[in-house]
Amino acid sequence: MKNSAIEVTHADIKRQKLIAASRLHDIHWLILMLSTLLTIGAWYIASAQVNKRVAERFERESFLVIELVKERMQLYEHALWGAVAHVDASEGDITDQQWKNYSNSLRIEQTYPGINGLGLIYNVKFDQHDSFLLQQQKSRPNFSIHPLYPDQELWPITFTEPLLTNKQAVGLNVAFEKNRYLGVKKARDTGLAQLTGPITLVQDTKQTPGFLFYAPFYNKGLPHNSIDTRQASIKGVAYAPFIMSQLISGTLAAKQRHVSLDISDEGKSLYNDINNVDSIEIDANPLFIKHIYVNFYGREWKFIVRSNLFFREASGSNQPYFILAGGVIIDLLILALFIVLSRANKQALIYADDITQELKIGTQRLLSSNQDLEQFAYVASHDLKSPLNAIKKLASWITEDCESLLPESSKKHLALLQSRTNRMNRLLDDLLDYSRIGQHEYKPQEFDLAIIANDIFSLLDHPTNFNLSVEKQTLLLPRTPIEIILRNLLSNAVKHHDKPTGHITILYKKINKMHHISVQDDGPGIPPELFDKALEMFQTLRPRDKVEGSGMGLSLSKKTIKYYDGSLTIDSDGVRGTTIVLLWPITTKI
Amino acid sequence: MTKQQKEVTLLLIEDDDVDAMSITRAFKKLCLGNTIIRATDGLHGLELLRSGAVPSPYIILLDLQMPRLNGLEFLEKIRQDPQLDKSIVFVLTTSKSDKDITASYQKNIAGYFIKDQVGDGFLDIVKVLKGYWKIVLFSES
Repeated sequence: MKNSAIEVTHADIKRQKLIAASRLHDIHWLILMLSTLLTIGAWYIASAQVNKRVAERFERESFLVIELVKERMQLYEHALWGAVAHVDASEGDITDQQWKNYSNSLRIEQTYPGINGLGLIYNVKFDQHDSFLLQQQKSRPNFSIHPLYPDQELWPITFTEPLLTNKQAVGLNVAFEKNRYLGVKKARDTGLAQLTGPITLVQDTKQTPGFLFYAPFYNKGLPHNSIDTRQASIKGVAYAPFIMSQLISGTLAAKQRHVSLDISDEGKSLYNDINNVDSIEIDANPLFIKHIYVNFYGREWKFIVRSNLFFREASGSNQPYFILAGGVIIDLLILALFIVLSRANKQALIYADDITQELKIGTQRLLSSNQDLEQFAYVASHDLKSPLNAIKKLASWITEDCESLLPESSKKHLALLQSRTNRMNRLLDDLLDYSRIGQHEYKPQEFDLAIIANDIFSLLDHPTNFNLSVEKQTLLLPRTPIEIILRNLLSNAVKHHDKPTGHITILYKKINKMHHISVQDDGPGIPPELFDKALEMFQTLRPRDKVEGSGMGLSLSKKTIKYYDGSLTIDSDGVRGTTIVLLWPITTKI
Repeated sequence: MTKQQKEVTLLLIEDDDVDAMSITRAFKKLCLGNTIIRATDGLHGLELLRSGAVPSPYIILLDLQMPRLNGLEFLEKIRQDPQLDKSIVFVLTTSKSDKDITASYQKNIAGYFIKDQVGDGFLDIVKVLKGYWKIVLFSES
C-alpha cells in the first residue's frame, strides 16, 4: 500500500537479524569458553587450597608424632635420672629388695607406659668380680654374671624390675653385645642419658627390635666432669629396656594417628607400622611422605612419616569437586540456554516465514479478486450501458419521427422511458465509480479549497438564487477525491433543497492533526434516525421521481474518504439544515 | 480555401446497428448527401477498402470494440498497407480508457470521439466531420 516499499526493507532487516540470532556465534562460544575457564580456574584454586591445607596438616601431624616420641623418651629419661638420684641418695649399696621397693612405689607400668623395665647395671672391674658376686648372692643365691669375657670389665644387669618379664636379663653382662656395650660406654663418657642402637632384648620372646636407655651414676665424692674423671669414677648406669613395639603404643598407638611411622637407626628398622598385623590404616600410596632425622640421646633416628588411610579420609575434600561439578553444570546450562534461545529464534523465524507466506497468499488472492471485481464492474457497466444508450436513441427517434402521430399519453410514456434510461445510466456510472475507489491512490497536491469548491458549484445545475460561501484555504490533500466528494455533497445540497433560495457554507478548521471540513446547507435536513440509511448504497431519502439520484453519492463519498483514513459524518436536527463533516488526516509533504 | 474535387465518402466501421443508424440520421438532419458505406467490423472494412468499394476521397469513422478485427487491429493493418496508410481515421467509441486513446493516436488518427459524451445523436460529430472535409485537404492516392 502506501509505504510498502519501505516496510519491506524494514522487514528484511528484521528477518536478517532473526536469522543471525538463530545461530550460535563466536560470542556465544567465547562466553562458554570463558565460563569454562573460570570453572576450571575456580576448581584449580580450590584444589590448591585444599592441598595446601592438607600438606600443612601432614606437617603438623608428623611434627606432633615426633614430638610425642620425644616426650615419651624424655619421660623415660626422667625415670632413669630418678633411679640415678635414688642410687646417689642411698646411704650404702642398693640391695635388690630396695630396688624392688623403689620400682614398686614408682609403679613403672602405669607411670611409664611402654617401658619394659627399670634396672641398674653396675660396672664391675674384672678383679672385683668375685666380691661382687658374693655380695649379690647374699640375697640371691642364684645370681651369676654371664657371659664372661676374661680380662674385661663387666657390666652386669644387677637389678631389674618387674622381675616377671625381665628374668632372663638378670646378671646379663651387657658388654657381650656391641650396641649395648657401646651405649654404656658412651653414657659413662658423656655423663648423659644415652640410647643404644637397635637390639633385640633377651627377654623379648618375639625377638622384635628394641633398645636400652642408660643414665650413668658415679662414685660418690669423685668428680665426673670430663671423660677421664668420668671413666675413673663410673659406678654404673641406670637402665631401661624397651621393646619398640610396646613403646609405640598408648597415645602413640597407630589408631590414634593419621600418619604411619617407620623408625630406623643406621638402616636397622626399629619400628614399622607395616609389621603391625592390625594395621588396617596403612595407605599403600600415601599422599605425603617425609623423611626426618632426629637425634635422640646419642643416636640418630630416621623417621619415615607416611600419611595413612585415616589421613586420606580426613583430608578428602569434595569441595573442589563440588565447585567443578557446579561450574560444569552452570556451563552446560548456559550452553543449553544458548541453544534454546537460538532454537526459539529459529522457531520464531519459521513462524514468521509461515505467516508471511500465508499473508502473501492471502494478499495475492485479495489482489486478484480485486482485479476481478474491477474488471467485472467495468465490463458490467460498459456492457450494460451500451444497449441502454441504444434504447435511449431509439426512443428519441420515435419521439422525433412520430411527433404528429402520437397521442399525448404515448408522448408522456416515451418521456418516462427517456428519464428511466437516464437514471439507469447514472446508476451505472456511479456504480462504476464506487467500484473504482481504491484502485488508484491520488497523491496529495496543493490547492485552494475555495477555488475548487466554486468551480464545482458553477458546473452544477443550480438555481441562480443558490449561493456558496467558502473561505480561501490552501490545503495539501489528494485533489481528485476531494473534488468527487465535494461534487456529491454540493449536488445533494442543491437537489434536496425545498426552498427557492438556498445557502451552502463550507467551513475549514484544523483540529488535532486533522483537516475538519464541514459542508452546511439550509435545506430540509435529515432526520437523525435516517443518518445510517442515508450512507447506504442505492439509498435515497426522497423518491427518485421527486429527486433524481442514484443514492450512491454519500456512500461513495464515505468510501472515498475512508480509503484515505478519514471519516464522514452527518449532523442534522431533521428540521432545518444539514451539515456533512469531513475529517481528513493531515499529510505532510514527503 | 480549397475543396475536395469530389464528394467525400464516409466509411462507417461500426458493429452496432443503432449507433450506425444514429450517424445516418445525423447526416440526414444536417442535409448531407455524402455516401455512407457501412462495414460491420474491422475485417469487413478492410475487405471493402482493398476491394476498391470505397471511392476516395474518404473518411473512416471507426469503432474500437468490434468482433473479428477490432478498431486498433484494423488501424495496425491499414497503417501497414501502403495503399491505405494515408487514410484519415476518426475513432468513435464508448471507451474512455487512456490506454485506448493513446494507442489510437499512436496510429495517427485524426480525432477521438466518445459516444456517450456527445450530445444529441451524434450531430456534433457529423458537424465536425463536415467542417473537416470542407477545409482540410486530403492526399491524393
